Amino acid sequence: MRPARGHDGISVMATRTIGSGQVGRSVPRLEGAAKVTGRADYVHNLRLPKMLIGKIFRSTVAHGRIKSIDVSAAKALPGVYRVVTIDDIKAVIPHPFYGPAFHDQPILADGKVHYVGEPVAVVLATDPHIAEEAASLIEADYDELPAVFDEIEAMTSKAVVHDELKPAGTFPDLKHLKGKKDTNIALDFHLRRGDTKKAFAEAEHVFEHTFRSQQVLHVPLEPFVSVAELTETGLTIHTASQSPSFVRIEIARLLGWPENKVRVKVPYLGGGFGAKLYIKLEALVAALALLVQRPVKISLTMEEQFYTLTKHAATFRIKSAVKNGKVTGRDCEVWWNGGAYADIGPRITQKSGFTAPGPYDIENVSIDSYSLYTNLTPAGALRGFGIPQLVWAYESHTDMMARSLKLDPVDFRRNNILRDGRAQATGTAMKDAAIEAVLDRLALRMNMKAPFDRGTGTLKKGRGIAVGFKASISPTTSIAIVNIAADGSVTLYCSTVDMGQGSDTANAQFVAEILNVPAESVKVVHPDTDVTPYDMATLGSRSLYHMGNAVRLAAEDAKAKLAALAREVGVPEGSNVPVAELFQKKYKMQAGNIIGTGSYIPNYVPPDANGLTPDATPFWMVGGTGVEVEVDTETGHVKVTKMINVADVGRPVNPRIVETQLSGAATMQFGFTMQEKIEFDGGQITNASFADYKIPSIVDIPRTMQNEAVESEQGTGPFGAKGVGESGTFGVSPAIANAIEDACGVRLTELPLTAEKIYRALRTAQGKPLED
Amino acid sequence: MTPFELAEPKSLKEAVGLLDADDPTIRPIAGGTALMLMMKAGVFRPSKLVSLGGIKELRSIAIANGELKVGATTPLAVLEHSDEVRNHAPVITRTLRTLSNIRVRNVATVGGALAHADPHMDLPPVLIALGARVVVQGKKGERTIPIADLFAGYYETVLAKDELIASLIVPAQNGRRAAYLKCTTRAVHDWPALGVAVSLATEGNGIKDVSIVVSAATETPRRLAGAEKAAQGASDEAGWRRAGEAAAEEAELITDAQGSAAYKKQLVRVHVARALRAALGAE
Repeated sequence: MRPARGHDGISVMATRTIGSGQVGRSVPRLEGAAKVTGRADYVHNLRLPKMLIGKIFRSTVAHGRIKSIDVSAAKALPGVYRVVTIDDIKAVIPHPFYGPAFHDQPILADGKVHYVGEPVAVVLATDPHIAEEAASLIEADYDELPAVFDEIEAMTSKAVVHDELKPAGTFPDLKHLKGKKDTNIALDFHLRRGDTKKAFAEAEHVFEHTFRSQQVLHVPLEPFVSVAELTETGLTIHTASQSPSFVRIEIARLLGWPENKVRVKVPYLGGGFGAKLYIKLEALVAALALLVQRPVKISLTMEEQFYTLTKHAATFRIKSAVKNGKVTGRDCEVWWNGGAYADIGPRITQKSGFTAPGPYDIENVSIDSYSLYTNLTPAGALRGFGIPQLVWAYESHTDMMARSLKLDPVDFRRNNILRDGRAQATGTAMKDAAIEAVLDRLALRMNMKAPFDRGTGTLKKGRGIAVGFKASISPTTSIAIVNIAADGSVTLYCSTVDMGQGSDTANAQFVAEILNVPAESVKVVHPDTDVTPYDMATLGSRSLYHMGNAVRLAAEDAKAKLAALAREVGVPEGSNVPVAELFQKKYKMQAGNIIGTGSYIPNYVPPDANGLTPDATPFWMVGGTGVEVEVDTETGHVKVTKMINVADVGRPVNPRIVETQLSGAATMQFGFTMQEKIEFDGGQITNASFADYKIPSIVDIPRTMQNEAVESEQGTGPFGAKGVGESGTFGVSPAIANAIEDACGVRLTELPLTAEKIYRALRTAQGKPLED
Repeated sequence: MTPFELAEPKSLKEAVGLLDADDPTIRPIAGGTALMLMMKAGVFRPSKLVSLGGIKELRSIAIANGELKVGATTPLAVLEHSDEVRNHAPVITRTLRTLSNIRVRNVATVGGALAHADPHMDLPPVLIALGARVVVQGKKGERTIPIADLFAGYYETVLAKDELIASLIVPAQNGRRAAYLKCTTRAVHDWPALGVAVSLATEGNGIKDVSIVVSAATETPRRLAGAEKAAQGASDEAGWRRAGEAAAEEAELITDAQGSAAYKKQLVRVHVARALRAALGAE
C-alpha cells in the first residue's frame, strides 16, 4: 500500500475493503462524539450514595520491618470514618496476597515494606481532603533492612527482597514458575539452540556490547481508579482495568467466593498502556467495602502512579559471532528489574526473552533471561511488553557491527534477516511475518541508498533505521456473543476494554462485515462480567487477533442461525427478506433473539528444557523505524527532523486507526528514548511529578512523521488482521541512537539519549572528557 | 488540601493590610499557577490567602515619561499581546511566547512571576537585563527596588511578608538591543536548564555597554560583570565567544535534575555567545 501525504506530514493509509466493505474502511471511532463532547463514562465520574473516599499512606523506606503504625492522630481528625491497616483487611480476606505470576503482593503492607511508596494504611472519609490530611498524620516506624535496587546486583545481592515465594499458578504459560528461594530471581528462562561455543570459536569477528534501558512510566491521563460496592448478591467493582475477567477471578479467589458473586464493570479508560492490568486497586477497595459495608472509591493522583507500576529497566549483554557477513552465533543475557512484586514480569522475561536475538536467521543461539526482584516500584507491562528494551539493544548492536565491518547497515540486516519458513530461536517456523518487507519499505522510504547532507559547522546530520519483532502471548482465550434483536439490530458483548485503541470500532467492523450491516449500527456492550463473557485481558496487542477471531466466530454462528431461521420459516436461501420479517414470521410479532457465540484459543506448545517449541505464538508483529537527526555538537542537543514508521499489521481493519496506533506508539517510545526517566535516590523517586518527569508534547515530537503498513496478510487472523498497538514502539530507540552515531560519531548505550550524555560522549571522543 | 480563609480585597491598601509580616501561612495569591501546585503537593498549607484578583488598579499597561509601567496583576498573556510592550521592549514579547504555555500565561501575572523567585522563571533575567524595577507597597508606604536586587536566594526575595509588588517599570531602551535564550534539557516545554538575557548598545560594529544575565542554572538570576567586561567592543564570533568563555568561568552553577554544573558551564559558554549574536541580529 502506498500512502499519500496528509496535511500535517502524516501519511494517510489507503483504504482496502473487502466483501461488504466494513473491514478495511476507516470507520470513525464509534465513541468519538461521546468523548469529544464529554459524555463518555469514566470511573472517575462515578459517585455512589454513602460512598467513602480512601487515601493511601505509603512507605518512606525501601525495605524494612514495620515496628509500629501510629494512626491515632489520623483517627482523631474530625470527619475521618476509619483508618485501615493489613490487620483489619485480614478480618475479611485472611490471605490477602495477589498477583498474576506470584501471589506476592499484599493488599496493604504486611509486616514488611518492600519499596518506597508501598501502601501501608488507608484513611476513609467522605471528604477526600480530610482523608488526605489524615493520611499525612499517620506515622510508621520501621527497622530498615538492606535493600537492592540494581538488576545486576540483585543477581548476587545478600539483600533478598522476599523471604518466601508464592507462585500463583493461574495462567497456563506460567504454571512452571517456582522462583528461587533465598535469591531475588522470580524466573530464569534459558534457551539453547545449536552450538554457540563452536560458532564463536569459528567466527571471523566477535562483538560484545551491553545496553541499558531505564524505568519509565505509562502516564495514562486517567490515573488508577476503582470503586467497590456491596450488593444484595455480592460485590460490584467499577474499575479502570484492562483485565475485567482476571479481576473477577482473582477477587473471587481472595474472598473464597464463586465467580458469579463478583461483578466487574469497566467503562472507557483514559489510557492504559499495560499499567491497568491484573489487580491494582481492586483488591483494596473490595476489602474496604466489605470491612465498612459502604461503597469505597480510591482514585490515585498523577504522582501516585509512580508508586504503582513502571516499565522494567533492563540490562542486556549481547554477543555475536560473524562469519562472511553472516551472524552465526549469538549469546543473550538479559536482566529485568522487576521491582518489589513480580506483577507480570516473569512472563515478560520469558515471552519477550525468547525474541532477544532479534529478527535474524541465526543458527546458534543461547538466551539467559532473568526476572529479578528489587526494592523499587513494581514493574510490569508497558506497550511492547519488554520488546522495546530488547530491540534497543540488538538493533544498536547490529549497527555497531555493520559500522565496524564497514558494511551497509541495510544490506547487513537483509543478509541476515529471518524469512518466512525459517526457524526463529525457539525453533518455531516463521509464518506471515513480513520482516523483510518492513526492512525494504523502510530503506526505500528513508532513501538509504541516496547521498545524504551531513550538515555543516556545529550542526551534524545523520540517519538510522531499526527493525524489531514480537511474538503474541500464548495461549490466551477470548469469548464473544453476538445478539441479533427482532428488528435486525445487532449487539456485541465482549470483555475487550476500549482504552483509546479503537477496539469497539474494530470489533463492530468484524460483526458488520459478516452480518452485512454498517459498522456504525453495531452496539458494543462494555465489559461487565455479569453480562459480557470471559476474555484473558486487553494487552500485548492480542485483542484484535484473539477477540477478533472470537467475534468473527460469534457473528458467523449468528449468521448460520439466521439462515436456519430463514429455512424454518420457509424463506428460500439467498433471498433478501429483511431480518425483522424472519423474526415476525416465526414469533408472530417483534420478538425473540438470535444469539451467536464464539470462543477462540490458539494452538500452543510449551517450551522444552532447552526453551524450544514448534509453536511459540499464534502471530508475529513486526515494526521498524527510520529517522533523520540533527545534532548540535556544542550542546549535544538532538532534533529528530523526520521519522518513518513501517509495520506489518496484517490487513489493516481500520486504516486511520492503524495509523494513529503506529504514530501513538512511536511517539510514546520517542519520549522513553529522548527524555523520560524515573530518577531514584536510594530507592526514593526524586521526580514523581510532571514538573520533573517530562513526557513529550507536540513541540518535542518529530515535525515529520509518516506511518505505513506493508502489504501483508495474517492467515489465521480475522480477515487477515493482527495486532498493531505496540509495533510502532519497536525500532524508535535504536534508530535514533544509530542516527546519532551516523551524525556525530558517538555511540550511546544507555537510555534516555539526553543532550548532556551526547555532549559528554563527544568530549570523551575528543580526548577531553567533561568532569563529573 | 485543607480548608483556608480566602480574602478578596478591592484595593492594594486593603490587601497589604490583610497581610502579616510575621505569619508565613498568610500569602497573597494572583494567578495561582505556582502557589496552587505547592498547596496540592502539601508544601504550602495556608491559613489565609489574600486574592489580588479583585484589585482593578493593579491591572494596567501604560507608557509614561518614556517608561513602560505594568500593573502587578496584569496576566502574562495580556503583556504578550500588548502593542505598548512590543514597541517598548520587543524582547519581552518574544520571551513571553516561549514562557510555559498559553493556559499558564492566561492566568499567571507579572507580579507573581517576580515574587515567586523561582530561578527558572523566564522574565526575571530579561527584566534585569533591561534595567527594570518594581514599585512595592508596604504598610508604611512605597519603595522602589531594581529587579537586579529583588532576589535574595532560591525562592526568596527581599520583600517583607506584608509587602506587595504594585507595578513593574521598564525604562526607555533608547535603541538598545536585547535577546533571551532559553535552553531546556529534558523537553522543549521544560523549565530552562539555563536562561541567558542580554541587552546592549552598539558603537560601530562593536558592543558597547552590555548587560549579561544568567538564570536557572544559578541560585538566582545574576548579572555577570566579568562577561560584560569581556564583551565590551566585541564585534565578531571570536569576541562573542570570549564573552561566553568569561561567563562560563564566572557563573556559579548548580548541579540538578536538568544537568550537571560541568555541562551547564558549557551551556553558558555557548549560549552567552549565541545570545550576543542574536541580540546584534535582532531589531
